[in-house]
Amino acid sequence: MIEIKNVTKKYGKKKALDNVSFDVNDGEIFAFIGHNGAGKTTLIKAIMGIHDFDEGDIIINGKSIRDKGIECKKEMAFVPDNPELYENMTAIGFINFICDMYEVNIDERKKNIDKYAKMFEMKNNLNEPISSFSHGMKQKVAIIAALSHNPKILIMDEPFVGLDPKAVFDIKEVMHEMVKEGKTIFFSTHILDVAEKLCTRVAIIKKGKIVKVGTMKEIKGDKSLEKVFLELEG
Amino acid sequence: MKKIISLIKACMTDNMQLFKIKSKSNKKSSKVILPIILGFICMFSVWSYANMFMEPLVKIHAEYVLLSLFIMVSFFLTLIEGIYKASGLLFNCKDDDLLLSLPIKKSTVLFIRIFKFYVFELLYNSIFMLPAIIVYIRYVKVPFSFYVVSLFILLLLPIIPIIISSILGSIISRISSKFKFKNLAQTVTTVILLLVIFYFSFNMQELINNFGEKANVINKFITKIYYPCNAYVKMSTNFKIGDLLLFIFINISLFIIAILGLSTRYFKINSNVKGVKTSTSKKDYAIKRNRPTISLIKKELKKFISSPVFITNAGFGLVLFIIGIIYITLNFDKMTNSIIIEGSITLDEIKSYIPIILYSIICFTSFMTSITSSMISLEGKSFNILKSLPIKPMTIILAKVLMAVLVMIPLILIGDIILFVKFNFNILESLLIIIGTILLPLISETIGIIINLKYPKMDAENDTEVVKQSMSSMISVFLGMGISAISVFGLFYGIKIGLSNTLLLLLINLIFSILFIILMFYMNKKSVKLFNEINV
Repeated sequence: MIEIKNVTKKYGKKKALDNVSFDVNDGEIFAFIGHNGAGKTTLIKAIMGIHDFDEGDIIINGKSIRDKGIECKKEMAFVPDNPELYENMTAIGFINFICDMYEVNIDERKKNIDKYAKMFEMKNNLNEPISSFSHGMKQKVAIIAALSHNPKILIMDEPFVGLDPKAVFDIKEVMHEMVKEGKTIFFSTHILDVAEKLCTRVAIIKKGKIVKVGTMKEIKGDKSLEKVFLELEG
Repeated sequence: MKKIISLIKACMTDNMQLFKIKSKSNKKSSKVILPIILGFICMFSVWSYANMFMEPLVKIHAEYVLLSLFIMVSFFLTLIEGIYKASGLLFNCKDDDLLLSLPIKKSTVLFIRIFKFYVFELLYNSIFMLPAIIVYIRYVKVPFSFYVVSLFILLLLPIIPIIISSILGSIISRISSKFKFKNLAQTVTTVILLLVIFYFSFNMQELINNFGEKANVINKFITKIYYPCNAYVKMSTNFKIGDLLLFIFINISLFIIAILGLSTRYFKINSNVKGVKTSTSKKDYAIKRNRPTISLIKKELKKFISSPVFITNAGFGLVLFIIGIIYITLNFDKMTNSIIIEGSITLDEIKSYIPIILYSIICFTSFMTSITSSMISLEGKSFNILKSLPIKPMTIILAKVLMAVLVMIPLILIGDIILFVKFNFNILESLLIIIGTILLPLISETIGIIINLKYPKMDAENDTEVVKQSMSSMISVFLGMGISAISVFGLFYGIKIGLSNTLLLLLINLIFSILFIILMFYMNKKSVKLFNEINV
């Protein structure tokens, strides 16, 4: 479970996040939507302990990311919006590196890497250097690395950007599979159709403030998510 | 023309950011003061050297030799600096796709790249030439024309070295692009080229010995082989407007010819450099497990060996150290003969200084090889990966320091052992030198990482910007020079007042141990905070 409690983050005088509060429950696919520069990536980086915040707290499965950062991070995996991976490494080198950091034993990592490499059709590319990959392939490597240590919570920033339709389908399958196991998925997206079909709950952020949060039905009623979003933005 | 000016403006605005220091305050003054101070310190050192060279020249009325000598020195330094930078600045730039998609000629893109290169080399060149010109004016009553000539010389002097560097950089990139491990090939080719240049520079050292007596020979030699020297000396002593116009014409023509010539090959080389030769073997991927610290060190090592400019910059000092030690070992008798003949010192006395000389060389090598001063910046945008990992920031920082010292210590130890065997060091001296061999790289790399955490440059276009032009690497080099100079001065002062080698080495190791403890204390207190404050 992720509890976001009154989080405020300032860049100079500008509030990138303004008193943001909401919870993401276990076994939930939670979409975080908002226009460009609304504060989505800032909040995701705060949840992951990448960026600090000025006020409030973020609790991951009962532990504060500020006080117990390492323990919180052990339960999470992160897929960034722009996969800036280590270009000088091979894909398998990078995945092994991430597994080492999470201290994944050899059997578990073999099982997971084989499974996801096959699923994302990357088995034949894992020995190649990351520098030779397209954006989509790098994104797949980042996803395989994130899933290789069996995280309880998966945080993704715009995970569908640059992926081919098959990979988008596969990610959705993985998300459903994880949720069945009681795991939590929190992701930001601009693709409202996907969010509408996939998510249990959703939060909409505008200029650093949460303007709506709730189940998909509570948010959109009889309208489409796109229409609700555009009305809120207007 | 308007397009070119807009392009230059856009590219330079972006690049000049690298001279700014990331600080919490947005005051512009705080961002420019440090580079200016560093520039002045450097120019003051060159000014002192120029004065030292000028004194014997005044006696024989050959002041103009100072100008030709400094032109030659700045030519070599700009050339060496240029060779380091050329491949990184000209090829595989992040804005290639953007610039090449614009409706501009391909030669214009190359012009922008070389112009940027020119501006950096102009600044670098001025650090050496300006103080020499000031010293010349101090000793010689110069006409107004000298100022005009000097201005043009300053502006045009970097052109020939950057043309040569660009050509050599293109050749290096072309050769290395043919290999599967092109970064390794680029590193090896660059090192070989630099060693060749150093070999010739060392040979020129013979000429510079007994400078006062040989001044005219040196001048004749330099002006004969390098046209700008000849032109400057000629225009300074006997100004003719025709000579100045010819000088401007020759330099600008060379610049244009070089751009037109290089542009025919540039884009092919650039696309080859960008291409990645992948393995066609279908062998299974290896799943290996390492402890987190080992894995972090391996990651750092991979980054180090895969970046030609990084490995060349940091590793070259170590290579020179080994070559220097082997040179001393093989030529000791020849080197000492001339000193002994003069009668001021005996062979035994020279041999007794060897441990202190070795410690001094280790000191310079360690402090001038700051690997960690670029390691945070080289993470670039992937720094967020590290921050998202369930690993303590201190472990990540220490892994970087460890990797750097693991590269340095074995190489320095090889040099130590060669001299231990050659000169039969006693056990205590050997032990104290080995302690220094471990301690000095540790201190140098700890300082490097602290400076880089304080002055990170996370948005660099390429590795060259981080390794050669960032504030962090500049501060590390100057600080390293300062610490080395003070330590060496202290050691030789110790000899002068009659302290034994053992006591001196013991004392300096003690001082460095205290410094290391202070640094570790500072790092424990501040580095995690600095690490967390870096936002990418």
